[in-house]
Amino acid sequence: MRPLGRVWRIREASTLAILLLEILFFGWYLWPDSGTYHPFLNSSNALLVLKYSSIYGIAAIGAAIVIISGGIDLSPGAVIALASVVTGGLFVEAGWGLTPSILAGLLVGVISGLVISLLVIVVQLPPFIATLGAMGIIRGAGFIITEGRYYDLSRLLPRGWHPLGIPLDWWPPVVMIALAFAFQLITHRLQWGRAVYAVGGNETAAFFSGISLGRIKTSVYLISAILASVSGVVLALVQGQGKADLAMGYELDIIASAVVGGASLSGGRGSVIGAVLGALIFGVLRNALAQIPGATFYDRLIVGVVVIVIVVMDQILVKRGA
Amino acid sequence: MPGLEFIDIRKSFGAVRALRGVSLAVREGETHALIGENGAGKSTLLKILAGIVSPDAGEIQLDDRRLSLSGPRDALAHGIGMVYQETVMFPNLTVAGNIFAGRELTGRGGVLLEREMRQRTRDLLARLHLALPPEARLEHLSAAHSQLVQVARALAFDCRVLVLDEPTTSLTAADADHLFRVLEDLRDRGVTILYVSHRLPEVFRLCQRMSVLRDGQHVGTYDRSAVTPDDIVRAMVGRDLPAREATTPPAGAKCVLRVRGLSRAPLVHNVDLDVAGGEVVGIFGLVGSGRSELLETIFGLHAADSGEIFVDDVRLARGSVRAATRAGVALVPEDRQRQALFFNLVLRHNLVLARAALGRSIVVRPTEERGFSTRLLETWRIKAPSVDVTPDKLSGGNQQKVVLARWLSIQPRVFLLDEPTKGVDVGAKDEIHTIVRQQAVAGAACVVVSSDLPEVLAVAHRIVVMREGRIQGELTAAQANEHTVMQLATAPVRRAS
Repeated sequence: MRPLGRVWRIREASTLAILLLEILFFGWYLWPDSGTYHPFLNSSNALLVLKYSSIYGIAAIGAAIVIISGGIDLSPGAVIALASVVTGGLFVEAGWGLTPSILAGLLVGVISGLVISLLVIVVQLPPFIATLGAMGIIRGAGFIITEGRYYDLSRLLPRGWHPLGIPLDWWPPVVMIALAFAFQLITHRLQWGRAVYAVGGNETAAFFSGISLGRIKTSVYLISAILASVSGVVLALVQGQGKADLAMGYELDIIASAVVGGASLSGGRGSVIGAVLGALIFGVLRNALAQIPGATFYDRLIVGVVVIVIVVMDQILVKRGA
Repeated sequence: MPGLEFIDIRKSFGAVRALRGVSLAVREGETHALIGENGAGKSTLLKILAGIVSPDAGEIQLDDRRLSLSGPRDALAHGIGMVYQETVMFPNLTVAGNIFAGRELTGRGGVLLEREMRQRTRDLLARLHLALPPEARLEHLSAAHSQLVQVARALAFDCRVLVLDEPTTSLTAADADHLFRVLEDLRDRGVTILYVSHRLPEVFRLCQRMSVLRDGQHVGTYDRSAVTPDDIVRAMVGRDLPAREATTPPAGAKCVLRVRGLSRAPLVHNVDLDVAGGEVVGIFGLVGSGRSELLETIFGLHAADSGEIFVDDVRLARGSVRAATRAGVALVPEDRQRQALFFNLVLRHNLVLARAALGRSIVVRPTEERGFSTRLLETWRIKAPSVDVTPDKLSGGNQQKVVLARWLSIQPRVFLLDEPTKGVDVGAKDEIHTIVRQQAVAGAACVVVSSDLPEVLAVAHRIVVMREGRIQGELTAAQANEHTVMQLATAPVRRAS
């Protein structure tokens, strides 16, 4: 399959190459002096990385789609938290069943997405402002509901739980990978996906071509918020917590994942698979730095440098390709 | 030699060679015209002179000294003032603010000397015989006045060379006349003027010498006394213009597009228009006459305030592009870069867009799409390496043909074209005209909006002239010439009682 020509295949392959190089580097750097147990390259650590990256990764799929359409979404962190609060609150305090609680958590995404699209399309706010405001409102709703408490789901969930035969810890990566492939297909093999790239590439031309801007924009903000709520529900179940201050500041990491994966903030470029690989790049980085004594203090700094280096490399690559 | 000299200037944008070694000299104190069709390279040459674009090769000399221009400021510092076609000014600032923008007079500590700037503005405006208060905001001025404010801005800093890029495009005859008097006055005071236009009457009135560019090359420089307008046209086009074909609309053809009482504030007022199948109607009018807005409203981009549009006697839903395209209406918009092409998508995706919007399929079929778009490239003879490149690899003419091909693929019943040959070379221009005629022969109702009068005269059976959103009158191809058309386009509006 050749989704968008040469540049794109190079772009996704290069993100994957960076991820592999990163793993090789830390594998070498953290090679144990003695003994056989590798603190970084072992299956349980790999699962740990995948589990935590997935929270960003799932939301980054939506962020990438919004960015491709030429918009921006600052609300996913807040939606993640509110979804975890609603699922947790209904399940723990209101005594709802697990399935209805999960569905209610996902409803948070639907409602947030609709409100954001209303602000962007009908009220005509710039997406940055609309989602900045929405971020505050959604985060605030979480605090009002919880009043400082948090909901402990873990004691109510069965020990050693295997929903649908898959261990609970495996669920986040399974959901992320399934969604990544599904949305990669949707964005590249459906007319809708083509329209998203067209709107992001040239909104005026899209309008003159008869593409319904309202419909496309509504759908991208809706998808982004729903994916963030999926991420929130998954987080609540895996971590066993529903909390209003969960996922603080995640929105920027989520956007960074999409950008490192090739999404251009001026719209029209990017890919879903790239965004997921971007989330994994950061996940590996965090995990490995945590194992190097003293390096955790450098965590944010290194993440910042990595974003800039990768995007500059991308620009050089695109210029060459052009 | 004192004056301004271009020496072997070359410039390419990607695959497009905009200037292929242009050398020409403007003598000190003369008014010199730079003439050429759209896409001939005039604008690029001006941008190089203004320091906005740097040439790939060649140099500019002013009074035998090499000019090195690294930005618009350098050009000004050397006494070269530019007046652009589309006003690049600040509508939110006052006249004085615009004239001194970026070069404000300041006193101690960087304080703005408002009073002095206002006084100097008043003096400048007086020199240009303009009765404008320096405190007026630019957005409240007419197009003509803002154009003259640009001239004032250029003159504010001892400019020796004044460059004007098609300054009369949006001016009425009276306003243009005022501008000419100002320019003649400046010439008498020794200002060298480089005047870019393709309107020959004004060029012959104003300029002593004229240089013609064609396809990025300098064809020649001529003394006004030694040439006729026909010679210049031949130099611009590179050949004799074909005699206009006997263009009579097909007899007894059925009306395909019927517009009744169409209004959309502020630019379309109560327009009635009938176009038969097989007919090509040209719409002529000055900038701001509502031509583009009329086409866009017919295409459903804007909901009409009132009025009705019928295609083959079926009424179109208001403000719906989908309904319009389903009925077979296609619009090739004015600005292909901004309104039609997607530079992030490859040609294949660009080409299938109109058909996809019509189709009911929600899935993309890559193989079928590739075959379909490759056939489009062949059918319309679009020069492109493959369907997998982005549109920026194509020349202006081929880009325009991509946009045409996109819409031709839905076999339009009503084919609307807004400035279809803007910025394309002569060869592509001919091909585009042929395509429009072929569509008409095939039974489509074609409407061509153009401010290029020879084009309208060449391609249309009938010419409708608009002014201020109203249809001012209609001429058959036989009646229409530069004179009759311009007269209608600039005559006072006939308001419906």
